[in-house]
Amino acid sequence: MPVVRLQQVTYYYPLTETPALQDINLEIEEGEFIAVIGPNGAGKSTLCYTLAGFIPHFYKGELQGTVEVDGRSTQDSNLSDWVLRVGLVFQNPFNQISGAKYTVFEEVAFGLENRGVPRNEMIQRVEEVLEMTGIADLAARSPYSLSGGQQQRVALASILVMQPKVLVLDEPTSQMDPIGTREVFGVIRKMAQKGMTVVMAEHKMEWIAQFADRVIALWEGKIFLEGKPQQVLTDERLAEKGFGVSRYTTTARLALSRGLWQAERPLPVTLEEAVSGFAAIRNGQSKGKP
Amino acid sequence: MHERLSFYVKRESPLHQLNPLTKLTLIFGLILPAFLVPFYWTPHLLLVLVVFPLAFLGKVQGEYFNAATRLILPAAGFLFVMQALFIPGGEVVLARVWFLTLTQESLLYAFANAVRIFVMISSFTLFMLTTHPSELMSDLTRRGLPGQFAYVIIATLQIIPQMQAKANTIIAAQRSRGLDTESSFSRRIRALVPLVGPLVFGSLVEVEERAIAIEARGFTSRLPKTSLREISDRPLDKGLRWLLLAMMLASLLSRIWFS
Ligand SMILES: Nc1ncnc2c1ncn2[C@@H]1O[C@H](COP(=O)(O)OP(=O)(O)OP(=O)(O)O)[C@@H](O)[C@H]1O
Ligand SMILES: [Mg+2]
Repeated sequence: MPVVRLQQVTYYYPLTETPALQDINLEIEEGEFIAVIGPNGAGKSTLCYTLAGFIPHFYKGELQGTVEVDGRSTQDSNLSDWVLRVGLVFQNPFNQISGAKYTVFEEVAFGLENRGVPRNEMIQRVEEVLEMTGIADLAARSPYSLSGGQQQRVALASILVMQPKVLVLDEPTSQMDPIGTREVFGVIRKMAQKGMTVVMAEHKMEWIAQFADRVIALWEGKIFLEGKPQQVLTDERLAEKGFGVSRYTTTARLALSRGLWQAERPLPVTLEEAVSGFAAIRNGQSKGKP
Repeated sequence: MHERLSFYVKRESPLHQLNPLTKLTLIFGLILPAFLVPFYWTPHLLLVLVVFPLAFLGKVQGEYFNAATRLILPAAGFLFVMQALFIPGGEVVLARVWFLTLTQESLLYAFANAVRIFVMISSFTLFMLTTHPSELMSDLTRRGLPGQFAYVIIATLQIIPQMQAKANTIIAAQRSRGLDTESSFSRRIRALVPLVGPLVFGSLVEVEERAIAIEARGFTSRLPKTSLREISDRPLDKGLRWLLLAMMLASLLSRIWFS
């Protein structure tokens, strides 16, 4: 049975005429890692907010259809209960710091204080999560004194500590360098392996190809493509619709048109796949020549 | 640079161990007598016999006397000079300068007032040096202060150094585009105008995200909250608070009685 189920979801922001999401039907199984891609304005953030309950509880406007997690719908729940089912992490790590706490430890505990979790349990859960996200050594630091990558891991820890069933991330690594990206992806993968359901808006194709179970491509508020990462990310219609495309895919497509890529071989998304593809061509050629 | 966001100095001392509300009461337990008790030397005695020893008791004497000489003394000194020279009345004339007369009465009056101000700022300083802001807010929230209220106070305390850092970034950015921030005063004021926009509008956009972020952590949940910080409230604290309350009442009564 799917944990997340969206049926015929259409959403208009207040005072807008065109829907930011249109006829979205989506079912997500427990433990699945879904990546959402799309050009600017495609509705990725809107989809994230809808799953996390901020639409319709924070952003008003008109929401049609049903959004269900664990058999309950957002419309019938209040936001402060919903955040226990679906946790949301977003782009700018700086704005996710509560601003009311002086140390990372306190910052991560903030959500548990709000939920009235007893102190002993609180400390234990915060320690576990700090360990898991690899920021235990930052516990006593001020959240403001950290680098962007560290702050994003604090934001992630602050949500994970609340143990949501579904973790929604809206471009969590877009302001991060490769090291920060790897750190954040590492933690998320660990969570996914533990059975947490993950939905992540992201445009770093190579990372998606390595981590996601399924990719959803949004375009003008609609689901335009959906399927296995390799299949969706190498679809030739992506580039013309303004989606980002991995440079390895672009390279291999050009190589294919010049006969430098094996026609039966799927196009690559990652460096690894590209290298082994080109290696296969060379080996094939050297075998062909006496 | 952002590490130090409060005045709080972490030490083990009897003053640090007091409950924040007790210390808050202590502030007013010092200020009210200093201002109200009709006996002339009250503020002076309080300063020397209570405030100074408290600084040592709290093991923050270094920080306190540093603040006292650099901040409190000039403020109190300025007040003293102004009042000594400009308060009219008094018979025993000590000196006359141009149209100003210095009388013994105005001198004494100004001296007492300056010391009162000294006591007042000192009490707040000692409070801030020995009380962690989070501890104060957790304690007050537990006693029924609305969470939103506590949040606004703490966030405001923290936002000032952030705004400063951001202003510096914007200034650096504008200066690199040729903005003049180093010449005459009026030109610099005019030059500040382009800085206001990014600072204010940047902050407004961030407010929405910040609101979502704290909401995502159940901030408006109506369940009773708990606190990570364990705040002690010993019988000693309760006793002290009653005692201080009694002293405040006594100083009020003494004022009414003797005047
Ligand atoms: N608060 C809002 N009020 C009105 N319209 C909005 C609001 N937020 C987004 N929109 C509109 O909804 C559409 C979808 O926006 P959304 O932010 O979900 O896109 P996105 O895929 O996240 O884009 P990006 O890659 O820039 O983050 C856009 O046309 C956008 O202009
Ligand atoms: Mg977005």
